[in-house]
Amino acid sequence: MGQKMELACIIDDDKIYVNLVRKIIEIKKLSENLLIFKNGLEALEYFKIILTNMSEEKLPDIIFLDLNMPVMDGWEFLGEFIKIKNNFDKKITLYVVSSSIDPRDLERAKSFNLVTDYLIKPIELKKFEKIFDRVA
Amino acid sequence: MLNDLQLNNILEDFDIAYWKINLLTKEITWSDHFEALVGVPPADESLFEHFMNNVLHKDYRYDYRVAFENLTSGEQDLNQEIRLKLKNDKFRWFECRNLKRKDNTYAETAVLLFVNIHQSKRDQYTIEENFFYYRETAEMTTTGGWYVDVTTKSIYWDDVTKKILDCPKDFNPDYDKRLQFYAPEHQEQANSIFEKCEKYGIPFKTELKMVTLYGREFWVQATGKPVYNEEQQIIGIRGVLQNIDENKSNELNLQNSLDIIAAQNSRLFNFAHVVSHNLRSHSSNLSLVVQLLNEAKNGQDKIDLIENVEDISQNLDVAISTLNDMVSHQNLLKKERTMVSFKQSLDIVISSVSSLINRESAKIIAEFKALKEISYIPEYLESILLNLITNAIRYKQPGRVPVIFIQTYSVNDQNFMEISDNGIGIDLDQYGDKMFGMYKTFHHNPDAKGIGLFITKNQVEAMGGTISVTSTVKIGTTFKIKF
Repeated sequence: MGQKMELACIIDDDKIYVNLVRKIIEIKKLSENLLIFKNGLEALEYFKIILTNMSEEKLPDIIFLDLNMPVMDGWEFLGEFIKIKNNFDKKITLYVVSSSIDPRDLERAKSFNLVTDYLIKPIELKKFEKIFDRVA
Repeated sequence: MLNDLQLNNILEDFDIAYWKINLLTKEITWSDHFEALVGVPPADESLFEHFMNNVLHKDYRYDYRVAFENLTSGEQDLNQEIRLKLKNDKFRWFECRNLKRKDNTYAETAVLLFVNIHQSKRDQYTIEENFFYYRETAEMTTTGGWYVDVTTKSIYWDDVTKKILDCPKDFNPDYDKRLQFYAPEHQEQANSIFEKCEKYGIPFKTELKMVTLYGREFWVQATGKPVYNEEQQIIGIRGVLQNIDENKSNELNLQNSLDIIAAQNSRLFNFAHVVSHNLRSHSSNLSLVVQLLNEAKNGQDKIDLIENVEDISQNLDVAISTLNDMVSHQNLLKKERTMVSFKQSLDIVISSVSSLINRESAKIIAEFKALKEISYIPEYLESILLNLITNAIRYKQPGRVPVIFIQTYSVNDQNFMEISDNGIGIDLDQYGDKMFGMYKTFHHNPDAKGIGLFITKNQVEAMGGTISVTSTVKIGTTFKIKF
């Protein structure tokens, strides 16, 4: 295992899932810190604040984005995030993580350039490690 | 007096053959032309018997013998249509009659003419045959013919047309009442196509709803064309009308079924998506827990993880019961419509959520005077009211007593229900298209399950209606249902 990641971000409304992933990251020591938002809007507001404060050190290295969420779902977040992403110098890797196995969702996710991959829940522990390893 | 040869030549020019009969001896002589037609007779047989047995078609033998005897005994003229076998073995039609004497004096000979009438006979058969086909086709396809004489303003119908319109055979259609045979909504169209045909000669082919004498409505395909006189003026309109009611209602039923299937299909798709997503999200969490359990180093870690299993099992339970709700709502579709009173349905709903209403001191004002009841599935109306009322209370504007105003009315035979509240409202520009989707929640409300409006919309649409929404943030929301 290589270098440890500074900051990972999870955008998901499923509390149990978020808790479990948090545990995995702790146990496997995959990331120093973890940002958690329970819908797209909360995450978007965070990124907008960073943009106005120009405090890039608070930007995550990796984002795990759920699709089905209340208030602002994953698709809407992607639509908004595209608009502001280029203002950041830091490279942010974004994975869509969903339990939807609908091929149309997969297709749509891959049509976004900023989406590195579409991961179907559940993600295996080894897969998590690999992803963190690659990004870090 | 013409001699035989001259007579023969003249008659031959007209394709007429003849016999000469000596009335005393009953001896017969054939004209050359007759012989040329049927062939030379054998010498050892009497001409008459040879004719009877070998030339004349057997169907006419009996009648002909009688007629011939009546002729030769001087009692009766002979005039028959018969078929003769010619030299080439083909039967042809002939008219056979004797030359009439101009005076009453006794004559020694009689002349029997054979006129070839095969062509006209065949034409007659062709006409009869065509008429037969026409009539059978008309009967089979229930296609009736009609003619409108525009100069005398009169209408003629054939028997099939009368039958199609449930009219007796002796029925005489009245020109001034002709439009009564069209459905009210099609009278204008019928009038206009006839007028255009009469004035400008424009033919028509169209589908119309007609009404029989007894008021039964049915679909026809009507075609009509102008009829011109020699001066090229339009003197009438001629056409046919075909009863296509069965086809038309099949077509309409088919379209209806297609719409229902398409709607069902999209609901099923949505349902399948929800099932897959909801059940999968829990099962994937479960699988994560199992993976972590394998990694757990001590008993405390394991106990912490077990708590997650309890949560997952609870969530799974809720998800399954929600799905059950949806399925049972779909099953209600099989129920029959009955007349449902809005007041009664509302009372049932209010009593079932009385604790929520009391807790929030919600005020519900209902006005059902303009439309008191409706043909509907009672469970649907209750479910629609329940969803919209609980929504209105749940999403009240903080600090404001929730007021819900329910009103029913009808405009142009179309029934409506409006449910308005003074709640927090919703930004329709942002969420409008998603409002009725599944698992969409727009407010940070832990109670929100996100299927209420989805079910409401499904129920309204399953009953052939539509639902629309208008809203202003912090002012309130109005749902309008068109039944």
